[in-house]
Amino acid sequence: MNNLYFDNAATSWPKPESVYSSAENQMRNAFGNPGRSGHTRTLEADRLLYKTREAVAGLFNINDPARIAFSLNATDALNTALKGYLEEGYHVIHTAMDHNSVLRPLGRLCKEGKITTTTIPCSTKGYPDLDFLDNAFKPETRLLVINHASNVTGTLAPLKDMIITAHKHNAFVLIDAAQTAGSMAIDVEDFDIDMLAFTGHKGLLGPTGTGGLYVKPGINLKPLREGGTGSQSELDSHPESMPERLEAGTLNSTGLAGMLKGIEYILDRGLGNIKEHESNLRKYLYNSLAELPGINLYGPAAGDESSCIVSATISNTDSGEIGYILESSYNVLCRTGLHCAPLAHKALGTFPEGTIRFSPGIFTSKEDVDYLVKSMKEILKLVQ
Amino acid sequence: MAYTCYITFPTTFFAIRAESVLKNKPCSYKMVPVPRSISSSCGTALRCECNELGAINIILQNNKIEIEGFYRLEEIGLKTPSVEELFLDE
Ligand SMILES: Cc1ncc(COP(=O)(O)O)c(C=O)c1O
Repeated sequence: MNNLYFDNAATSWPKPESVYSSAENQMRNAFGNPGRSGHTRTLEADRLLYKTREAVAGLFNINDPARIAFSLNATDALNTALKGYLEEGYHVIHTAMDHNSVLRPLGRLCKEGKITTTTIPCSTKGYPDLDFLDNAFKPETRLLVINHASNVTGTLAPLKDMIITAHKHNAFVLIDAAQTAGSMAIDVEDFDIDMLAFTGHKGLLGPTGTGGLYVKPGINLKPLREGGTGSQSELDSHPESMPERLEAGTLNSTGLAGMLKGIEYILDRGLGNIKEHESNLRKYLYNSLAELPGINLYGPAAGDESSCIVSATISNTDSGEIGYILESSYNVLCRTGLHCAPLAHKALGTFPEGTIRFSPGIFTSKEDVDYLVKSMKEILKLVQ
Repeated sequence: MAYTCYITFPTTFFAIRAESVLKNKPCSYKMVPVPRSISSSCGTALRCECNELGAINIILQNNKIEIEGFYRLEEIGLKTPSVEELFLDE
C-alpha cells in the first residue's frame, strides 16, 4: 500500500512529473557550470537559471529578477538576510511564531552583543499582538521579521498591516515565506516587501537544496560567503552586483531546474485554484477531526484563512506515539513533536510536548482525509 | 581588413537577458566566450557583424540591458587580434 502523505509542511510530496524529468534533463543536457565556461552547455545552464529567476519574479511580482539570489533553502536565505543586513547596535522585532531559522541566527547575534531584539507575543491561535508591535519600535529598530504562515498552526500573519507599521517606523521587513510560497499570493511590489526568503522544496514543489532571497534595490547585503562567480575573475574581491553578490560557488542547477517546473506547474494550475483546494481540505480536515472525542485542535478556526496545516494533541498522550501508530498500522505519514518553533508552542500551550501536525498538499484528496480521520478515530478508541 | 564586433555585459544575467530580448528579432548574432583580448566582467559576450551593432544596441537599450562595452576585433584567425573599443551613443 502507498503511503498517505500528510507532511507537506516539512517538504512537499509527490512532485509534479515534470519536476523529476527536468532535474534529470539538466544533468544530462544543461550540465555546464553556469556563468563559468563559454561553451554551449554552460549557456544552456545560464538560460535555465535566467528562466527560473524570471519564473520566481513572475510568481511573486518582482520587477527586477536580478534582485533574486538563489540559496540552499529558506534557512540559508534568512541567515544571509539577517547576518548580511544587521549591524552593531541595531534592534530587531520578530514574532513568537518564528521558526528556528530566524530565532537561532538572531539569538547568536544577541549573545554576541551585536543586536537587541523584541519578541511580539502571539495569541493562542498564533496571531501577533499588533498593538504591542506598534509600541515596540525604538529609534534603533531597523528590521521587522515576519513569518508569513506558522509551520505549527498555519496561522497567517497580517502581512500588509505589519509592513505598513514597520515602514511607518522606518524599519525594513524580512518575510519568511517558507510555508506560503506557492500556495498564497505574495506580491512583492504591492506589499512593498524589502526582503523575501523562500524555500524551493515545499510549496514550490521543487527538490531539496533550492530556495532564494529577494532583496529590494538599494539594500546591499554583506555576503555570507565569497568565492567563485565566473565573473570579474581578475578581482580579489567578490562582485558587488546582484545576483552574483549573494551567489558564491556553483549553484544547484539540478535542483533549480526542478523548481522551475514546480513553479510552472503552480502557474498552470493557478495559485487561486491551489489556495481554494487547500483551504477546502483544511476546513474539511479540521471539522472532521473536531468531531472526534478527546482531540484538541490548535490554530485558526475551520473557516479562517490559513495555510494548509492542522495541529492536534490528544490529552495525556505522547504525540510521537500517535505518529508511530499512524505509520505502522495505517501507512499515514505526518510530523509529531516540536516543529522547530519553540516560542510558537509556548504561545499555543503545547510546549514541550508538541503536537501531531497534519499538512495535506496540492495532491491530497478528500478521500485521503477521510482515511486519516477514520484512522485517528480507531487510534482514539485504543488510547481512551 | 575584416572585422567582427562584440558586446560585453556586467553579469551573466544581462548576457542571457540580451539573448532573450533579441530572440525573434531580424538580426544575426551569437553568444560566445569573451575573447581573451577583451576584458569583461562576464564570460559570455554577444558577437555580431559590425554593421548590425547599431541596430542590436538600440534593441538592448530599449530593453534596459546593462552593457559593459562594445569592441571591434580584426579577423586574423587564431592569432591575437587588435582590439578597438567603440563608444556608441546611448
Ligand atoms: C516557517 C518556516 N521557516 C523556515 C523554514 C526553513 O526551511 P528550510 O528547511 O527549507 O530551510 C521552515 C521549514 O522547515 C518553516 O516552516
